[in-house]
Amino acid sequence: MEFNISTQGAVTTAKLIGRLDTPAAQECAPALEALQEKAGGTIILDCKQLTYISSSGLRIFLTLRKAAVAKGGKVIVRSICPDIRNVFVMTGFLNLFEMED
Amino acid sequence: MSNSHPIQLDPHGEAILEQYRSLLPVFKKMEEVIPDRIRGFFDEAGIVVAALEHRVKEENSLAGKLELKGAKYKDLFDITDILGLRVITFYIDDVDKVASVIERLFEIDWENSVDKRKLHEIDSFGYLSLHYVCRIPESSYFDPEHPELNRIRFEVQMRTILQHAWANMNHDTGYKSGVEVPREYLRNLSRLAGVLELADEQFSRIRTELTDYRRRVQALVASGKLGEVPLDGDTFRSYLELNPFQALNRKIAAVNQAEIQPVSLMNFLSVFKAMGCKTLGDVSNLIRDYGEAAYQIACYQIGLTDLDIISSSLGPQDLCIAFILKNGGGRAGVRMLFDALNGPSESNESIAEMLVEQASDLPFMNQ
Repeated sequence: MEFNISTQGAVTTAKLIGRLDTPAAQECAPALEALQEKAGGTIILDCKQLTYISSSGLRIFLTLRKAAVAKGGKVIVRSICPDIRNVFVMTGFLNLFEMED
Repeated sequence: MSNSHPIQLDPHGEAILEQYRSLLPVFKKMEEVIPDRIRGFFDEAGIVVAALEHRVKEENSLAGKLELKGAKYKDLFDITDILGLRVITFYIDDVDKVASVIERLFEIDWENSVDKRKLHEIDSFGYLSLHYVCRIPESSYFDPEHPELNRIRFEVQMRTILQHAWANMNHDTGYKSGVEVPREYLRNLSRLAGVLELADEQFSRIRTELTDYRRRVQALVASGKLGEVPLDGDTFRSYLELNPFQALNRKIAAVNQAEIQPVSLMNFLSVFKAMGCKTLGDVSNLIRDYGEAAYQIACYQIGLTDLDIISSSLGPQDLCIAFILKNGGGRAGVRMLFDALNGPSESNESIAEMLVEQASDLPFMNQ
């Protein structure tokens, strides 16, 4: 699992590549911390190359959302594949995030 | 004050002006401390105001005042408006609330304070404002570097936003030019003051009525008479405090022993309205009539996964899907639901297609 973060002004983009399962979610802790620090601006989670998400992965998304709400920023989830979108639908997470195709 | 001529001060006036220059840092300190104190108290008391303005009188403005009536003052401590604050409220009732905060925070010099709201005859209209002359008691704030701070008096003006508007217009029209203003303009200003006084009262009345309405609705919600409560933003918010979707969400969460993440459900208000709900009773009936179908949808989706987290919006989301599909809304209806909840998107079409297909196998669609 790769978590590539780049920042331009107030916009931070994190490219998620691979499977965001429970072990990967634990490995992502430092990246998550770095992203939370940027939560006052816009965080784009680019999921084009994300192939799987577990509950632990959803919790990472949720943590970022909470940080953004607290700091007045926002989280945009971009380019999720149909399978992951279904996970968002079946858990009720879809309407928690701004989604971009 | 017009500054078109050079200001000539007598020695007494010059002495007061010199006193002003030496005490200016104290006034600046007061300007820093006092508004903070007031804001802190407003926050505690839940008072929302339109503005809290403050200023320390400029030297040239003070010089102009001293030129005109310097002999009236023994020294600078006799002048009470070097530091001036103005609290502008939205509602007329809040002027008295603000005044009670100021009374608790500061020592009021009642002899020099004036309630201009009470100065008008029954047939006259004009400037309405409450002016307090105050001091900070040592018990409230003391700075050993600036002991004069507790001796200096300052002025707090309190008025509504409409009174403020009138006062500004009156100031611009009445005094600035130095030219005598024709009677008809003064009469128009006076008439306007009367209209604004009525408007202030009306705003206050509307707020009181709204508060009463909310209390009545909360009482009806609490007593379970939901059919009598119209569905709107206020009532839906009160209804959500009763956690009406909790039982459904818990039932769904039990499938995978999932945790439920609480989120705001206010975005479902427009959806329920679009589905024909007119009262909270209608929403409650929806939960009663379609809760089982919503559970079937959720079970089908998460039952074969190991997902152990759901958001509290899942119950109402699946409830809406069940209602739409059972009532022939089909794919277009489900797409509209997701467009309303998440914003229009092409991907909502494929979500709708998937959900219609899944639901076709479920018992509720075949009963």
